[in-house]
Amino acid sequence: MGTPGLKADCETILGRFQETDSVRFEEFAAIWKDMKFSHIYFGGMRNLEMSKFAREALSVASHYFLPPYTFQIRVGALYLLYGLYNSQLCQPKQKIRVALKDWDDIEKFYQDLIGAQHLDAAYIMRQLRLSRAFHFTGMAEFLTFRSQRNQPRHVGREEFKDVRDRVQDLVTSETLEEMLNIHEHYQKTKCLISADKSQPDRSLSLVKEDYVPNLKQLLSEHVTWKLEKGKPRTKNDDEKEENEEEKEATSQESEKESSERAKTLARIKSKCYGAVTQAPKSRRHRQVLMASSESSSDCGGKNTQKSKRKRRVPRKTGTLKGAKLGKLTKKASQSKKNMPTIPEEDSTSSSSEDNFVPKRTRKN
Amino acid sequence: MDENIPVYEVTDANTRLIHLGSFGDLWRERLQSCDLTLAADAGPIQDNSYVAQDLGCTEETAAELRLICGVDALKCSENEEEDLENIPEDSSLLTLGIRKKIIDRRKETLIVERACRQETFLHELEFHAVGKRPEDAADMVDEGELVLTLNIVYPVIFRKHKEYKPYQTMLVLGSQKLTELKDAINCVSDMQIGGEFSNNPDLAPENICKDLFKSAFFYFEGVFYNDTRYPECRDISRTTIEWAESRNRGYGKFQSTKMEDYTFNDLRLKIGFPYLYCHQGDCEHIITITDIRLIHHEDCLDKTLYPLPIKRHWFWTRKCSVCSMYTARWVTVNDDLAPDDPCFFCDVCFRMLHYDTDGNKLGEFLAHPYVDPGIFN
Ligand SMILES: [Zn+2]
Ligand SMILES: [Zn+2]
Repeated sequence: MGTPGLKADCETILGRFQETDSVRFEEFAAIWKDMKFSHIYFGGMRNLEMSKFAREALSVASHYFLPPYTFQIRVGALYLLYGLYNSQLCQPKQKIRVALKDWDDIEKFYQDLIGAQHLDAAYIMRQLRLSRAFHFTGMAEFLTFRSQRNQPRHVGREEFKDVRDRVQDLVTSETLEEMLNIHEHYQKTKCLISADKSQPDRSLSLVKEDYVPNLKQLLSEHVTWKLEKGKPRTKNDDEKEENEEEKEATSQESEKESSERAKTLARIKSKCYGAVTQAPKSRRHRQVLMASSESSSDCGGKNTQKSKRKRRVPRKTGTLKGAKLGKLTKKASQSKKNMPTIPEEDSTSSSSEDNFVPKRTRKN
Repeated sequence: MDENIPVYEVTDANTRLIHLGSFGDLWRERLQSCDLTLAADAGPIQDNSYVAQDLGCTEETAAELRLICGVDALKCSENEEEDLENIPEDSSLLTLGIRKKIIDRRKETLIVERACRQETFLHELEFHAVGKRPEDAADMVDEGELVLTLNIVYPVIFRKHKEYKPYQTMLVLGSQKLTELKDAINCVSDMQIGGEFSNNPDLAPENICKDLFKSAFFYFEGVFYNDTRYPECRDISRTTIEWAESRNRGYGKFQSTKMEDYTFNDLRLKIGFPYLYCHQGDCEHIITITDIRLIHHEDCLDKTLYPLPIKRHWFWTRKCSVCSMYTARWVTVNDDLAPDDPCFFCDVCFRMLHYDTDGNKLGEFLAHPYVDPGIFN
């Protein structure tokens, strides 16, 4: 059974982070502190309860760290994992479970972070990895054949998800190229069997000549339309950004040969993280850091304070007091030579009245 | 995708078949030594120069990142360690509001003590070996070793708990042999002492069933793995195989092989799928691999402590019905002297009540040695 409220709290912080239209860690940290999110571990949970809860919290957060969630939500989830991992009160810390099938996604995500110069996020990812915060597992969850069946599957908030784009899935730059090749080959073959070798006979004109360029055109229109539709809520500084984008877009059209998809990706990214990508590449990280160091000046002072988080272990000895003799089902007719039938006692229920079917009755 | 990358065969239940050793290889080839190292200290890789190198930035930037992205940036109050036990009134977190209600309700009831005691027991068991390093470096677990979590269900049928079966949980290393797991599985039926000894309790044999009947097998994916280490071991899977083959029963071909020849890394298994361990002829335990992962530097790193029990069902110990203090060692039936039938006694009380000073039997009764499941607690 999941802890009530936990998933909702995680979605609240991610939702608020989404509203900032940013992937900056300081934005996230501000929300975290505003919500006093590390208090989520408070309330004097006992050790076992605490480690279970920490495990669950990390498990809930790590769902949002993977596709199908948007790049921005995934960055938010990375920060959330970082916060939850480091503020947990368990000793040793509970680990973030990563399944083998998800690792390539995470590696790619890390490369994207570095590629887009999101150094704060990349730094934190690296930091988690170096502090060995992960368990490298088969599956993200423990698989206990019976008991987990009735647990609900993870269903995350729709607006965090990357809208699946079947058009883009279907028509990639590779498939376009492939189609272009086939089309050329087709044209050549037609020429070869035609009277005029430089041009196919009119009778062979069965498909539209400009089939591939048309498809390409349609595709880029679709991408633009999608970008317009999925635009984040307009902010004051968004307008400036839009102008730049248009310029960018027109210049893009002139370079016909380069990969459409790579550009689309770059544009999608620049949308969410406009502030960063506007600056020339060489100055990008400076800009990020300058903006951050302003508001984080007060953090510097806190560095000296070491947080000691040691939980006292409530030492209770395992002696059982007043454990009564189990109530035994008396058998009216117990044959003389049989081994006694001993019902076993169960510990999980508070009542001691459990009736068991003893599995084995041995004969002498 | 590689067939040894686990994916669900049945959603939320079990994965497709994977070769455990290859699974380990797939992880190890994706990771770097900084992920795999079992050293207590990660080393100089935290330095700014390494950060700069990894992220492709200057060292000054790295230093700045360290400041901005430090853990302290997420600290929510000055004296966090003082408030741990209390739930802040002003919290906006749903989790805390609900937890507060639960705690308040709990305070009103008295079950806390018992729950607390059991929890402490469970916690201590789960964490008793965490972080242990071997005294002899030769006993150190290898870097990148696989750790399997196994649930082994007790062969007890609860009428009341159809949904819940008590089990023990063990951690086993991928490089360990199946026989190492077999030797580590504690089962009450291995401890049983057959026979009636009221006429001479001193003759109750020391050797328990585990020593008398050593035959056992694991059943994984159509193969019986029999323990054939000892001359007295018999292939107890033979009966099943012959039964399956005797007529066309539609079970396909079963194979049988030697348990001691296989490590877990050699096996092809489904994570989450129920398999079987059978010993003492008919004592059957469902076995499930609930997890496989790479070893971590904070795990128990002493090879000799594996298979490592981390969870056991808490069995109430049956106490002597005379002194109510010591764990029962004898059970009597048809006993004129006893208040119950069957009745449980510790060794001292049993002898004091049933025999005179010369060891002569007093009255009529039958006495069987009793092994309490609680001895595993
Ligand atoms: Zn057994
Ligand atoms: Zn006694």
